[in-house]
Amino acid sequence: MDFFKKALDARIALVVIALFDIFLFLIVGAWTVGGGETMMTGLAAKAIIGDQINNIPFWKIVFPPDFGYWKIYISVGMLFGAFLGAKLSGEFFWRFPGSLSEWVMITIGGLLMGIGIRLAFVCNVSTFFGLTPEMNLGGYLSLTGIIAGAWFGSMIYKKILGF
Amino acid sequence: MSVIGESLVAFIFGSIIGLLVQRSRFCNTAALRDAILFKNFRNTEALLLAMMVLTIGFTLFITFGQGNTMKFDVGLNQIIGLFIFGVGMVLAGACTVSTWVKTGEGNVGAIWALLFTFIGMFIFSLLWSYSYWPPAPIAMTGEPNPETFQLGYANAATLQEKTGIPAIFFGIIQFMVLLGIYLKIQKKKKSKE
Repeated sequence: MDFFKKALDARIALVVIALFDIFLFLIVGAWTVGGGETMMTGLAAKAIIGDQINNIPFWKIVFPPDFGYWKIYISVGMLFGAFLGAKLSGEFFWRFPGSLSEWVMITIGGLLMGIGIRLAFVCNVSTFFGLTPEMNLGGYLSLTGIIAGAWFGSMIYKKILGF
Repeated sequence: MSVIGESLVAFIFGSIIGLLVQRSRFCNTAALRDAILFKNFRNTEALLLAMMVLTIGFTLFITFGQGNTMKFDVGLNQIIGLFIFGVGMVLAGACTVSTWVKTGEGNVGAIWALLFTFIGMFIFSLLWSYSYWPPAPIAMTGEPNPETFQLGYANAATLQEKTGIPAIFFGIIQFMVLLGIYLKIQKKKKSKE
């Protein structure tokens, strides 16, 4: 099957994704990832520290851990879909960051992404595929932030890689 | 819709997204980083096209009172939060989508990024439990609140409500702006060839 033999044009893929996102918007709400990841964090924390999680107000007031939170399953689905695509196209193989500096950058980057998502209540997906197309004021504020952040991050990236 | 129904719809949707992103190599981080650093707009073009389709689709349904819009107050925390996120995604080389997709391809760096995204969220939950900022959804009023740096809540539906002009009208304006950016990129590409 050609679909699994050569790369799909990103423009076609994104237009199809947008059409599915409109369906999701009509059924439950636009595509988002950060909310599901936060709920996973809460569930993982609860599994590790047990009822002590109730002593942290954030998990009591903002995100009480709940397996029935539908946004979790978008991420689980993305993992499954990507695994399926990679396996069927022969592109699945274990790969590791090549240098210590790469591990450090990924660690810092991951931490910043987690803190940023929770501070903003939104992630990049909500910004580009939810809030801004809904013409939500938060979309424009988030766009300003993410473009400035990506520019600043790119300058750091450029300096570290030395080009 | 029941919890199981919602979760099932979300899983099917996510699976389609994961498959399409994996096959197309689309990356949101690259859409910004590559445009800034390398003047490569492959991912930026795709992102703009999706935003154009979504703007028309969402605002058309909002015009008729359909769809589930995101409802929460916004303010300074969106700018600062996404700034921090933007720096992080460039350093990590992946965003919220590509971390899941690359994990599905066997990329250990992406698994590591995901793990630290979760740790970052947990650290923030501790900070929030001390500062209580930004306001929790239950404390949101929908109105501007300078004390908490919040501007309230506004979107295409509130625009339609306040002006009496159909939301799709505003959607078309936003579509034209996005199209203008898309065409400018095309022009730039042609002049390079």
